[in-house]
Amino acid sequence: MAVTVKTFASSNEAAAALSSDRAARYLGGGTLVMRALNEGDVSISTVVRTNDQTLTRIDASGPRITLGAGVTFARVLAERDLAFLHAPARSIGGPAVRNMGTVGGNLFAPNPYGDFTVALLALDATVAVQGGFGARDIPIEEFLQSRERQAGTLVLSVSCARPASAEAFRYRKIARIKPKGGSVITLAAHLPISGGRIAGARIALGSMAPTQIRARAAERALEGRILDAATIAAAASAASEGTSPSDNALGSAWYRREIVGVHLRRLLSGQE
Amino acid sequence: MLELRKDIFADERDDNLKEIGKGTQRQDMLGHVTGTSTYFGDHKLQGMLHLKVVRSTQAHARLRRIDTTDAERSVGVRRIIRGADVPRNLNTLLSLINFGKDDEPSLAVDKVRYKGEPIVAIVADSEREAFEATAKVRIDYEPLPTLFDVEEALKPGAPVVNETYPKNAFIYHDVYDHQRLRFGDADAALATADHVLEQRYQMSPIEHAPTETNGAIAAPDTNGRYVVYTSTQALFFSVDTCAKILDVPSNTFHFIGGTVGGGFGGKVDTLTEPLAILGAMLTGRPVRYVFGREEEMQYGPPRGAERIYIKDGVMRDGRIVARKIRAYFDSGAYTRLSSYAAVKCAAHLPGPYTIPNVYGDVYCVFTNRTPATAMRGFGVTAMDFAIECQMDKLAHLVGMDPMEFRILNAYRDGDMKAHRREAKNTALIECVQVAAEKAKWPIREEFRRASSRKDGGGSRAVIPPTPADSRARPAAPAQQRTTYDRLPPTITREPPREPPPPASPPSPRPTAPSHGAARFSSVFGTRRR
Repeated sequence: MAVTVKTFASSNEAAAALSSDRAARYLGGGTLVMRALNEGDVSISTVVRTNDQTLTRIDASGPRITLGAGVTFARVLAERDLAFLHAPARSIGGPAVRNMGTVGGNLFAPNPYGDFTVALLALDATVAVQGGFGARDIPIEEFLQSRERQAGTLVLSVSCARPASAEAFRYRKIARIKPKGGSVITLAAHLPISGGRIAGARIALGSMAPTQIRARAAERALEGRILDAATIAAAASAASEGTSPSDNALGSAWYRREIVGVHLRRLLSGQE
Repeated sequence: MLELRKDIFADERDDNLKEIGKGTQRQDMLGHVTGTSTYFGDHKLQGMLHLKVVRSTQAHARLRRIDTTDAERSVGVRRIIRGADVPRNLNTLLSLINFGKDDEPSLAVDKVRYKGEPIVAIVADSEREAFEATAKVRIDYEPLPTLFDVEEALKPGAPVVNETYPKNAFIYHDVYDHQRLRFGDADAALATADHVLEQRYQMSPIEHAPTETNGAIAAPDTNGRYVVYTSTQALFFSVDTCAKILDVPSNTFHFIGGTVGGGFGGKVDTLTEPLAILGAMLTGRPVRYVFGREEEMQYGPPRGAERIYIKDGVMRDGRIVARKIRAYFDSGAYTRLSSYAAVKCAAHLPGPYTIPNVYGDVYCVFTNRTPATAMRGFGVTAMDFAIECQMDKLAHLVGMDPMEFRILNAYRDGDMKAHRREAKNTALIECVQVAAEKAKWPIREEFRRASSRKDGGGSRAVIPPTPADSRARPAAPAQQRTTYDRLPPTITREPPREPPPPASPPSPRPTAPSHGAARFSSVFGTRRR
């Protein structure tokens, strides 16, 4: 059976086509879907696309930013108002991949990919999806937990609050090959400070579980504290709690568990 | 700018050559930079079919049952090819030069020996239909114990990876399970050395990662011939390999190659051509078989991993008096070219240094890994890395400058190499001196004045007494012959072969080697020039 490509003018129609066909897959930038097709993934028999301009919109003027699902990493990098997202955007692939890969597609990228999503998870982002039952907003953590079941829905956009300062949001990707390597682990931390103390700590990890996850034990170790050496040490030692990494060619599960605390400590103490 | 040291290389190069040191346009460069070079994959033939293989999901398993019923009924399928359809379903690449036994099937029959080994090939109207059919092939595996470690593989009682070599080691000249080099008495010298340093070096497999993956298109031509567009980097080698596997004369094929989108040794194994041609033979249509990127990276042959142990004896003054080496080449499940890599490695010992006592054992070992193959300097590269790491450590151990340490131990013209050949045209000393100078690395005057052409030979040209290994040398059975021998088996084309670098040297031994009379070929043995 040949692969059918369906292109729609509106995201509504694309979402309907996606939800009605289990073998349909939405094609954003194609960095995941075309690779799968080329490598013989026969579970895809329909490719759904849309030209809807709303999917490529960036709203970065206010305190809450919104990125259309079809926004590429190259466009994120070209946007001065999105400086806090430049590090995660730049950590993805090479220029060719960043030119095609999209924010929406990254939500579905399996390990060792999906680095931008780690940043979005630490920023408590909201994912707007269009399913068979209309549009709705889902907290990103909930979205990721049910990612397997989200194949029939179309992601429209992602939004999050802008961090209060450049210091408050930190990101680090550990890769063996620089600058294009897959992730050994990826870390993002959002540490809003209120009255000198951390309030609402978020630590997100990539490649430490089947999907991107939050390091809740580390967050608890940070919450309400001053970001000093003792706090950082406590967070680092709790970093691997609740994680379930796997072995792959880039690193073993054991290695990931061993180093995640080391890299969290470096991230929190501002070490390169 | 290229500098030719005429003071060293005066007799070595014809000054009338007009190419070196000049910018010369490569003949294929214009096509490459303008994107007009034609690769095998650019050929689109009318009615072309596509071939995909079903690969083993197991590293080592018996094949209980291969069920292709559903795949045969799959839309667009033209032909399912199994091991029994391959005319000669056992081959080894170097059998073309009468080296090694046939040990690798084109399609696995009774068992699989590495993850990714091809089992069934499916020819269909489109790539997609071929993929859909491969997903419908059901294979019942009976897992067998796996081997991933070269030293484990050589232990008695280890699982047998490749039944052609039941001891999991390639057998040289039908007798020897490793390549051996003996020169002087390394053990005695180690016992009297001021320092002894033993180190273990472990390499990883390396993928060639060509831009163009391995592939071929075969199409029926007139007069029962087949035209084959291929990515091979060894065209005539591939022609003969296909002729052997498909059991037809090699003039059945018209191979068209030429533009290789990256080879580096990864395109000599002739993995796609035999099945593409067989597909064309069985369907009467052009057939294209090309590796996907994942196939290329995961199952295309890499540079093999090597494990190397070096034990050196060094004196306080910096002279290396003994070097003992054990090296294991991880050939993966089949031989491909690793047998040759081990030969090259043994021939390279102990590196470009004059060491009076050298002992080397080099094994080509079978494991349940992806078969390894050629890659730039294979056999020598890893050994050199290990030796040079060792040289730095030894220099540190005796408190010498690493550059001076190398100059002190470098071989010089007239020295006797461990292979009992006189060292000629040596230039390591000069290379180190130039490297030091360019890097502004200070070396002392006496080392700046050292020369490859001075102070060699003499006592350094002596072949030391070499004790025989206690084990008796087994008798060599008759050399395996193949149909690819150019001469009928009744004609003896050379005197009976001597085994490779002998463990117990034949006597009487000449005091000085007679150069030019006979040449030792690593593959063929001793041969008249």
